[in-house]
Amino acid sequence: MIEMENKASNIQIWQYITAILLIFLLGYHLLQRVPWLFNVSTFDQTLTSAFVYNQYKEAGWALLLLAWVALFHGLNGVRGMLFELHQGKTYNTIINVLFWLVFIVFAAIAALTIVKLPAY
Amino acid sequence: MALDIEAATKLPPKVITVRVRRYNPETKKIWWQEYKVETHKGMTMLDVLLDIKENTDHTLAVRYSCRMGLCGSCGVNINGTPMLACQTQVSQVTSNARPVVTVEPLPNFPVVKDLMTEFSDFFNKHRSVKPYLIRKDTEEQENPKGHLKMNPEEFIDILQFSNCIFCGLCYSSCPVVAADPEYLGPQALMYTFRFINDVRDEGHKERFAIVDSEHGCHRCHFAATCSAVCPKAVDPAGAIQGLRSKLFKYRLGFFKKKSSEVLSAPPEKGERVPLPPEATTLPGVDLKQFEKEPVVIKLPKE
Amino acid sequence: MSDDEKFRSLEMENRQGFWKASLNPWLIRAKNNPERVAFVLHRVTGFIIIAFLLAHILETDSPVWSQYAPINGLSGWAAWTYIMGIESAWWARLGEWIVAGAVLFHALNGFRLLLTEFFGLGIGKPVEPKPPYEAPTLNAPQRTWLYIEFVVALVLWAFSAFLIFG
Repeated sequence: MIEMENKASNIQIWQYITAILLIFLLGYHLLQRVPWLFNVSTFDQTLTSAFVYNQYKEAGWALLLLAWVALFHGLNGVRGMLFELHQGKTYNTIINVLFWLVFIVFAAIAALTIVKLPAY
Repeated sequence: MALDIEAATKLPPKVITVRVRRYNPETKKIWWQEYKVETHKGMTMLDVLLDIKENTDHTLAVRYSCRMGLCGSCGVNINGTPMLACQTQVSQVTSNARPVVTVEPLPNFPVVKDLMTEFSDFFNKHRSVKPYLIRKDTEEQENPKGHLKMNPEEFIDILQFSNCIFCGLCYSSCPVVAADPEYLGPQALMYTFRFINDVRDEGHKERFAIVDSEHGCHRCHFAATCSAVCPKAVDPAGAIQGLRSKLFKYRLGFFKKKSSEVLSAPPEKGERVPLPPEATTLPGVDLKQFEKEPVVIKLPKE
Repeated sequence: MSDDEKFRSLEMENRQGFWKASLNPWLIRAKNNPERVAFVLHRVTGFIIIAFLLAHILETDSPVWSQYAPINGLSGWAAWTYIMGIESAWWARLGEWIVAGAVLFHALNGFRLLLTEFFGLGIGKPVEPKPPYEAPTLNAPQRTWLYIEFVVALVLWAFSAFLIFG
């Protein structure tokens, strides 16, 4: 019972910690697409494979952390909304299992991008 | 909802059409019914509903008591906004261009009949957060020897929240209550904050455990409609955010509860000493003279 | 059936429900309440972003997964170039622009929520209630932040349109 009581706060605290991290990580990620910072002239030139490969090499781990943090924050938010949509013990368990399943699968895919990145 | 003084002093349209959403629990039928009502200056929506009940349709069920915004019984959904019927002027919700007003029962409450809603869930949630002073020293609380210190600033901290009249407007306007029937609701959470803010209270640990549940204060998403519709400026939205930040501080170990000490008892009153015989009530007044010549005031005959 | 159950069975359920409450900011027509608009937008933009994020992770992983399941016979960075070719179409750009707006609003509003909900800043202090009875939170700094955030999000969104379509 006490564990359940603590959980609500803990989940929400993680939501805010990830939010704070996201402000910095996503700010960095959005700046990666502003062409004038990298001496190119258009948005599309920041999406060429050579350009993106360089960015993966430079700050791949930051991008991976961003993917994990954003996944957790987003899926956790959806989980909260799904708990609001319907109530019930079985339903809650299903939602929790689905949350971790989706999180682990997509976190693994994101990790593969950095680990198994083919040479350009 | 804050009082709209300008609109309230205007003259309402002479005749208004009132559309009431009605419900008959015996046939389980819901229908809209229209009534024509003649208005006068200063007429409230409660007056309109009572006028209908008196002159047109005796079967219309309305709940009301004080007619002056103190009891919180007459909350209804007027033109889609939860309001106290007794505090809403007809001129505030109608205009000459559109002399029609819709009245519905409060949303998020089960309907008993017509405009009457069932408040037992609402009150049970209020009870579940322990809305009373909790002291560690229960003996002292039962048989107090002194009183608890509280300065005016600390009193202002709880005064606003103590003004709640349990009208249920915040509860009916909350988008989270609309989805999750087990959510404690703005009113109960606001009352938790009121007692956590209270320097005389020592039960914050129990209360934090209650609101830190799945259906507790973290369900709130700060839509602030509760504060916007509140007729008494109780501000549940701000209270819930304050409660949350205090709960986080408590969970992370930074929370420090302000608590007041018990002051010593006031000195006991001694026996009453009678006035000395030479004392008079007012200088220049001779009591003996009064006894001799009693003053008779002559009243004019009707 | 007990009396209580009988009584309950006679009542009409009057709850507005999850979908109406999360999608319609004017479900309750309260005056002076832009926070509710922000709440609905925060939800809707959140949904847009999580849908984009899942697709985006798959998309950015394309140099890896195309090695096992080539698209049109292309694998590795060639597959990336192929996907970017598809995404330069106008409808994909429009989608990107919508996601950009969603991210901007969600981030700025999230920052306000972080300050109010987590740190307890910008919410009104309790005052002595006086007519016309306006809740202090509705005039507190958080309301100013809300307006600033709407304006800044719109300006940055216009800038992102210039970037994406320009």
